[in-house]
This record gives sequence, structure tokens and C-alpha cells, in this order.
Amino acid sequence: MDESNRHPPADVGLDSPLPASTQADATPHRASFLTPLFQTFQKRSIEQRVLAGFGLVFAGILVISAISYRNMTVLIRNGHLDQRSHEFIQFLGATGEAIDDAENGHRRFLVTGDESYLASYHSLRERTPEYIRYLRELTDPDSPQRAHVSELEQLINQQLQEERAAIELRAKTGFDSVRGMALTGVAKAALEGARRLQAQMDQEETKALAQRVFESTTTTRSSIILLTIGALLLFVLLAAVYYLIRHDITERRRIADELQRRGELLEAANKELEAFSYSVSHDLRAPLRHIDGYASLLAKAASISLDDKAKRYLQTISESATRMGQLIDDLLVFSRMGRQEMLRGTVNLNQLIASLRHDLRHDLQDRAISWTIAQLPNVTGDAAMLRQVFMNLIANAIKFTGTRPQATIEIGCLDNGPDEAVLFVRDNGVGFDMRYANKLFGVFQRLHRADEFEGTGIGLANVRRIIHRHGGKTWAEGVLGEGATFYVSLPRVRPSA
Amino acid sequence: MTVSKPILLAEDNPRDAELALAAMEEHHLADKVILCHDGAEVLDYLYCRGHFKTRLQGNPAVVLLDLKMPKVDGLEVLRTIKNDAALRPIPVVMLTSSREERDLAESYALGANAYVVKPVEFHQFLKAVKELGVFWGMINEPPPEGASRTTGRST
Repeated sequence: MDESNRHPPADVGLDSPLPASTQADATPHRASFLTPLFQTFQKRSIEQRVLAGFGLVFAGILVISAISYRNMTVLIRNGHLDQRSHEFIQFLGATGEAIDDAENGHRRFLVTGDESYLASYHSLRERTPEYIRYLRELTDPDSPQRAHVSELEQLINQQLQEERAAIELRAKTGFDSVRGMALTGVAKAALEGARRLQAQMDQEETKALAQRVFESTTTTRSSIILLTIGALLLFVLLAAVYYLIRHDITERRRIADELQRRGELLEAANKELEAFSYSVSHDLRAPLRHIDGYASLLAKAASISLDDKAKRYLQTISESATRMGQLIDDLLVFSRMGRQEMLRGTVNLNQLIASLRHDLRHDLQDRAISWTIAQLPNVTGDAAMLRQVFMNLIANAIKFTGTRPQATIEIGCLDNGPDEAVLFVRDNGVGFDMRYANKLFGVFQRLHRADEFEGTGIGLANVRRIIHRHGGKTWAEGVLGEGATFYVSLPRVRPSA
Repeated sequence: MTVSKPILLAEDNPRDAELALAAMEEHHLADKVILCHDGAEVLDYLYCRGHFKTRLQGNPAVVLLDLKMPKVDGLEVLRTIKNDAALRPIPVVMLTSSREERDLAESYALGANAYVVKPVEFHQFLKAVKELGVFWGMINEPPPEGASRTTGRST
């Protein structure tokens, strides 16, 4: 036994630092920056957490939407640009063909003099501005392609001009003067320039096109990846929020069940207490009655043979039994005060005090008491219970002024706001030492010896219990040998209510 | 002041019974008292059965009923008496230790004629029992024998 008892503390001493240290090691490594975040999150209420969760989901949807929108715009723009590039390349090709046709046609004319060969030349002349305008429209302003278009226009115009000069010369002077031109071509330099330029433009546009196709593909892929990751993240977030809500609901349900269970337990305990006090009331009194009864019978039966001492013993037995009976009764009343259902209503304290004084009038016939009773407010509470409160307070005042030739008892009210009435009962009795003020309201607590003032010490305990049940407070002030004041606070009746 | 009818005392506690009888003795009522030790005996007496099969006919002047008794408790006896047309006129006085409100309420609701809490102090107990005995056994005029039967027929 002794050894087994000694072991556990040693084990605990060894074990307890270990998990702490491993924990301390493990957490900062993994989530050093997440830990404070997690802690702040832990401090928030469930509503705030759910709101934060849904906020994150909403923000995520917004971000994904924004990025998707941007990617879409890029794709659509690239689509337009691609179409334009295709058109551009097509027109560029057409222009190149037109240039070649015009060149071929004009050389045939130079050789044959047949004007029908000039059709393509005329066509180029007429349509060049149109071609150039189209090409220009299909490029961005200030782009290199736009500059190239202007360059091309110049070269074409140069070509046309030189060809025209040659055509005019052929028409005036005949074939011989233009023989050389016809063989080699007049605008060789311009033509070659235009062709080179055209090829360069074609190449550049094709390259840009390929670049854009690549860009679109990348954008599309990144969009897909983004959407997938975003959807996954949102799913995780939603799952977390769902878990939070579910956890909260489970927790609440558990608490509700727990509350119900405790309520049932409390009810059972109350029932048990009631049964207990019932049996106390019934069974505990009987032996006391017998003690007093048989002591009395004995005193009577043996009255001749008993001396005064023995009679006094019997008397004490009887008195003790009676006193215990009184204590039991007081305790039962006190217990009932805590359980009894309260019947709340408006209580007119002036009437209540008047009726109490009326009831006490016979007990006070040989006493000189000067009463000062102020106008008292109406309060909310159980009339019978409050009657008990003031009965106790006034009875105390009467009891503890018993040694005074002229007793003064004052009942009044302090102004303490519209919601609460503070009532007091003041006497010029024996008073009490403020050091024991906290004992005054305890059950069976007495500040005077039994032979000084009678009583069991339950009265003020009842006062406190009743006032507490009304939501009020009790306190007392006193000076030994000069008097005491007892205060109770009670909810006041509002004039409108 | 001739007392012909007995006083039925239902008391399970022999000491309480003895003290009650001692109290009755003072007014020479003790020989009128019939002591029952539980509720079942009270009912046996009232219905002239069991131990009381051969007793003289007639209802008691009063039944002094303790609440807490073995077998059949006081409230059950009271309920039986007040539910029986032949027994209903018998005055029933609850004589008990209990001052509990629900006991009082239930007793009166069942038709108890009086409710007396046994005082702890013997002199008061003595006085209470004596007064009960004198009042119900001597002063009070019991219901006439047979009155119950006519009531029984009419209801």
C-alpha cells in the first residue's frame, strides 16, 4: 500500500513536463505565424467565426470572378486581334498579288502596246488607297506595322509613278525607247522593296499571331488551374464553416440536454428536500414530545419524593425538549421560505405596518414605545412574506429595546432611485458591535446570550432569505448600547405600472 | 352529559398513545377511548370486521386520526370515511405532528372536521387532547345513529 501510494506522484513528476515540452516544440515549427491568428480566431464568438468564414468564401468568389473576368477579356480581345491579323495577312497577300499583276501587266503593255494589259495596272492604281486604308485599319496606331503600311504605300506609289512614266513614254515614242525597261522592269528597286516589306510584315504578323495563340493557351490553362484551386479552397472553407456551425449546434444541443438534466436533478433534489423536511416535521417532533411528556409525568408521579434539585433537572429536560421543538419549527419555516412559491403583487407597506402594530398591541401594553413611522412607498412582492420580514424586524426592535425605559422605534424609507426602495427599522435598543454585523443574518446566529434576550436566531435569516428572493439586499448598522438600524431594499412599484 | 359513544384514537406510536390516554385520564375519558394502532385497524373497527367483528354496533363519537401510520395512513382512512355514506357523519379530527401546508390542505379538502397539531410541550399537548376529548366526547352532540343511512338512501 505504502509503495503503491508513493509511485503515482513520482510518475506524474516525470511525465508531466514531457508532453508540455514536446507540445511547445511541435507547435511553433509548424504554425508559428498561424498560431496568433488561430488564437484570435478562438477568442471570437461563433457568429463572428461563421461570418468570417462566409466572408472569406465571398472574398474568394470575388477574386476568382475578377481573375476569370480578366482572363476572359484577354481571350476575347485576342480572338478579335487574331481575326484582324488573319484579315491583315490576307489583305497583305492580296496587295502583293495586285502589285505583281500590275508589274506584269505593264511590262506586257510595254512590249505589245496592247492597252488591255494595263487593266491590272489601273486596278492597282485605283485600289491602292483602299488596300492601304484597310491595312491601316487592321493595325494599331503607333505600332511598327502601321509605319510599315505607310512605307508600303510609299513604295507602291513610287512603283506606280515609275510605271506610269514608262507607260507614257511607250505611248509617245513606241517600243524601242522602252525596250530596256520592258525587259528589266522599271520600278525594280521599289518593287523589291515592297515585296521585302510585304514579306517582313507577313512574318511579323504571323509571329504576333503565334505569340497571341500561345498567350491565350496559357491564359486558358491558368484559368482552369485557378478555378480548380479556387473551387477546392472554397469547398474547404465551406466545409470548415459547416463544421463550425455543426459543432456549435452539437455543443448547444449538449448544453441544452445538460441544462435539462440538471433541471431534473434540481427538481428531484427539491422533492427530496421536501420529503426530508416533511419527515423532520413529523418524526423529529414526536420523540421531543415524549421527552417532555414523560418528564412531566415523572415530575407529577414522583412529586412528593423529589427534592427541588431533581425537580429542576426534570424542568430543564422539559425546557430543552421544548426549545428543540422550537428550533425545528424555525428551521422548517426557514426551509419553506426558500421553496415556497412567491405570489407577487403590489404591497402597501403603510397598511402592512399598521396591521402589524395592531396585532402586536396586546404584547406592548406595558411598554413605553414612541413610534415614528414615515410615509412608505408601495413595493412589488409577496405580501405574506414581506409581512414576515417586517414582523421580524419590528419584533426585534421591540425585543432589544426591552431594557429601555422609553423605547423609540422609527420606520422609514431612504430615497434610492425610481426602481428601488430602501426601508429601515431603527431602534434605540442595546445595539450591536459592527464587527459582528456579518453574522446577524445567519441561521441561528445570535449576538446575545439566551438569558439576555430570548429567541432562536432564525428571524433575520428569514428576513435575508425573503429579501434575497425579492431581488433585494439586507444590511444593518449598529452601535453597542445605543441602538441598531436594519435596512432592506425592495423593488419599488413604478407609478405607471 | 352521559357519554355513550366511544372516542376512536388512531395512533401508531405507543408513547404518544400513552401520553394521550394520560391526558384523557384527567377527565376520566380514558375508558371511552378505543385505541387503534394503524389505519387498517380503524377501518376494521368502523366496518366491524377482523378484530372488531363482535363489537357493539354504532359509530364512535369522534375519530382522532394521526396522519402518518403504517399500512393505511391517516389521509387514506379519512378518504374512506368521507366517501362512505354510512361513515361520513362521523366527526374526524386530524391529530398530527405535521404542520405542513399540503397536509392541512389535503385533510380539509377530504372533509376533515378539525386539524390539531400535537404541541411539543407536554402541558400544551395535555391541554389539547383534553379539550378535544371534552369537546367531541362530551360537549358536541354526535350525529344520530341512522342519520347516515337515510343520507345513504337519498344519495
